[in-house]
Amino acid sequence: MSAMALRSLNLPGVGTKYEFETDKGDTVAIFFTKTGGIQMYTLQKGCKTPSAAEMSPVEARRLGNILTGAIIEADQESVEIAFSALADLRITIHTFFIPAAVVGKTIEELQIRAKTGATVIAVCRHDRNIINPPPTFVFEQGDAALVIGESDQIKTFEREIMVK
Amino acid sequence: MESFIIALFVCMVLALISKYLSIPAIPFYILAGVILGKAGLGIVHSDEVSHFFSEMGLIFLLFFMGLELKLERIIADPSKVLVSGVIGLTVDMGIGFVAAYLLGFSLMESFIIGAAFYITSTAIVITSLIENRKLMLRETETIIWLMVFEDIVLIVILALLSTGNQNLLLFFAKIALALGFMYAISYYGKEFLISILDRDDELPILFTFAAVLSTASFSLFLGIPETLMVIALGAALATTDPDAFEQHARPFKDVFLVLFFVFFGVTIDFSGNLDWGIIAIICMLAIVSKLVSGMLIGITIHDSAMSGLEIWTNTISRGEFSIALAVLYGSPLVGATIAAMVIVTSIVGSFAAKYSTWMRRGIVSHSRKKALVHRPHTGR
Repeated sequence: MSAMALRSLNLPGVGTKYEFETDKGDTVAIFFTKTGGIQMYTLQKGCKTPSAAEMSPVEARRLGNILTGAIIEADQESVEIAFSALADLRITIHTFFIPAAVVGKTIEELQIRAKTGATVIAVCRHDRNIINPPPTFVFEQGDAALVIGESDQIKTFEREIMVK
Repeated sequence: MESFIIALFVCMVLALISKYLSIPAIPFYILAGVILGKAGLGIVHSDEVSHFFSEMGLIFLLFFMGLELKLERIIADPSKVLVSGVIGLTVDMGIGFVAAYLLGFSLMESFIIGAAFYITSTAIVITSLIENRKLMLRETETIIWLMVFEDIVLIVILALLSTGNQNLLLFFAKIALALGFMYAISYYGKEFLISILDRDDELPILFTFAAVLSTASFSLFLGIPETLMVIALGAALATTDPDAFEQHARPFKDVFLVLFFVFFGVTIDFSGNLDWGIIAIICMLAIVSKLVSGMLIGITIHDSAMSGLEIWTNTISRGEFSIALAVLYGSPLVGATIAAMVIVTSIVGSFAAKYSTWMRRGIVSHSRKKALVHRPHTGR
């Protein structure tokens, strides 16, 4: 497979441009402009006018998360971090809103670690964060949990624990 | 001082309107100055304070230009910059200079008008390329390099105009000395400079301001043009941490430059023996000449007249550098002419840049229709 060439170019006064052509001949170009925005252009093969989208850095990071294949659901977000030096270790951090079935139960009762392998590392309750909740921690209505684990463990967590 | 506050307040309102309509603010600032000043209501007068602030605006504009000037990259691939740059220079400066001379300006005045006529507004062009989402067009890169070439020509023009009647040898010796000093500081003091810029107290901003101001006043003391020296300072400091310097100098540039535009407008006198016919011709030519140069560049670089059209629509606007030339070297008559040219071209230019895609599409579909109509005759 021919590695696609990623060209980067510094345009005086404008910012930095990254451009690459896909195997199918479409072109994608990203510009980090000096004004702080990020513009993404896509040009379909054989087409003359590209289409463009302008994003803020936060929006661009979201798009990045989607593109790297992390699980994204409405209002619930996840970030995947790849540590390429550690045998390509990929760790996903995901936020979940606690469903009614879980309210009133402790982490121990739910057997989260044993059933899924994932770990609840923080819970957000009324805009306050509880870091590293103990096994005796009781979930309440409106809690949002931050769960860390490998992508598969997160999927298991979603299936086993987040039952509606 | 009251007049100063009126000017500032009017500018804020105008800036809001121009941002809302997403058209460049520069022509509005000048117009505001014209309306408030000598030529209009006469509420705002330029005095020593406003003069000082305008000067700061000019100096910070040029300092910024120096920061953006990355000579090593141009030297690395000069052909890119040269071909289009030389076409633009000869066509636009040629037309501007000859037209001004034929219209009755003196040789010197014609040179200033020609230069102001040639130099497009980097600020307007770059902002409109970003806002109109044209960064991916292949013409964009050509336009950006065109701007870089123009910056270099501006430096040469400033150098030429500022030599005056001095002893050339001594003049260049002084410049070389100052340049050597600035580059030596940025080279040997690089780590120290970066450590200052990294602080999060008031020191980085204070340092940037002091560096620019002391360079300007020191060059006055030495008798060398402060305009050139501030650009050189920017270029020298760009070898350390240009982004940090830009960040710290930006507030000064933003505020002072607006005042520079307004008070340029204030000093304009449209009531003198102005010939509006001449001004109209210069404005028209300023738009047409960019069409000629744009077409020539499009055809030589991209092999396409359509590219030429795109380059034209994006390079019509004249702005900050034309005004800088008018302020530094223009007579009142030249100043008024350049002011009118900047106002007209920047407004026309911003609309042309916005609707160029429509125009291109229109031309393409029109020629397609024509081709369809003609096919029966040419077909068999």
